[in-house]
Amino acid sequence: METIVVLGVIALIVLFFIAQYNRLIRLNISVNEAWAQIEVQLKRRADLIPNLVESVKGYAKHEQSTFDAVVTARAKATSASSVADVAAADGMLTQALRGLLAVAEAYPDLKASANFLSLQDELATTENKVAFSRQFYNDNVRSLNTAVKTVPTNFFAGFAKVTEREFYEVEDPQDRNAPKVTF
Amino acid sequence: MNFRTQQAANKRKTIGLLVGMAVLVWLVVYAALTYFGTSTAGIVPIAVGIALISVWGSYYGADKLVITMTGAKLIQESDNPKLFGLIQEVIIASGLPMPKVAIVVDSAPNAFATGRNPEHALIAFTTGILDAMDRDQLQGVIAHELAHVANRDTLVSAVAATTAGAIAILSDMMTRMMFFGGGRRGRDNNGNPILLVVSLLILILAPLAAILLKSAISRKRESLADATAVAFTRNPAGLRSALEVLERDSTVVQQKSTSVAHIWIESPLDGKAVSRLFSTHPPIAERIAVLKAMESLN
Repeated sequence: METIVVLGVIALIVLFFIAQYNRLIRLNISVNEAWAQIEVQLKRRADLIPNLVESVKGYAKHEQSTFDAVVTARAKATSASSVADVAAADGMLTQALRGLLAVAEAYPDLKASANFLSLQDELATTENKVAFSRQFYNDNVRSLNTAVKTVPTNFFAGFAKVTEREFYEVEDPQDRNAPKVTF
Repeated sequence: MNFRTQQAANKRKTIGLLVGMAVLVWLVVYAALTYFGTSTAGIVPIAVGIALISVWGSYYGADKLVITMTGAKLIQESDNPKLFGLIQEVIIASGLPMPKVAIVVDSAPNAFATGRNPEHALIAFTTGILDAMDRDQLQGVIAHELAHVANRDTLVSAVAATTAGAIAILSDMMTRMMFFGGGRRGRDNNGNPILLVVSLLILILAPLAAILLKSAISRKRESLADATAVAFTRNPAGLRSALEVLERDSTVVQQKSTSVAHIWIESPLDGKAVSRLFSTHPPIAERIAVLKAMESLN
């Protein structure tokens, strides 16, 4: 009888340990997945940019400095790898794109072209997807970091090799808003 | 209240109501045994079994069943890339898998979500809602529907329907037995008259109470879906103005089958015909007020 009780208690403790460990691992995987989603969306946006630049160039040849800014920002964004670097490059690119769209405002023919309109449309939904994937990532990081810091999961963090993760911070508060695109 | 406290409050209330349902089942069984004696105990598993089978089928095949009942047609990304783009945005915000998407040809603006789990989810929109709403409003509606998916509301309403169904069947069986006098021979508890009267009252009133509880659960899940939608989009204004469009619009979807009334974002049943307590949805003005309160926090 006594041995059964002792074995039962041990089994419960083991189950408890497994549950905590698995929870941390699951949270960590969610953060990785959320990060992958950000990269997918940033890549989508980067792929969109050459077409957008070309379509603007067709109407506004003399805005070379704006095009350069976009191309440089895009190159930085595609080569960045750490969370902070990607976030910074993302912010810069958003800024540059805002400049590009502002340029487009001055060319009525461009604004009326079907190709530009559809690119603008696609950029709007991509910007939203970037923003949402960022938000989803930060929500997951918040859950993970809370688990790593709070009892009882914090005791298992070292064993599961799960550490706090970095938030995706957009520095310029103005950058939090996607470029204003109307359609 | 922000969306997090809203979500927590609505979840807590759902649990309270489900506990209420369980208590009601227990009361009915107790009343039946008091009134007819323990020889009738065999009826309980039969009633629960019938309710389980009838509800479980519709829960398991919810996506297919609702398509037939509402006349919704599945569409692909190429049919409406703009709508799919919007859905993908909310999918990314929620971390849910991509649902099946369907269109109901109906000029009344409305939408619904169903499916037994996120992997088998289906969200549908009437042609009316796609015409009537702008980007932000539609995003709010999509977020509300996907919130139902994330909160597993098909499961919650199946559980509520099963218990309400079991109570209805039990009570029905008992009242029939009463009228035909068949069960009276089992009345062996040397009859405390007050207890017998109370048991009888419980048996008669229980189905009504079950329907009230089921409607209350449905209303709480609607409020929860509104709050979860805001958690996805962080934009209460979109859903709020979408609800305002629905409030101004007086048309209702053609099919008024009460059995699927609860799944639409706006109740297709005439608001005046169904009193507040039996309604599957909170009043739309109340939902708008809650969302406005969330807006003022931003």
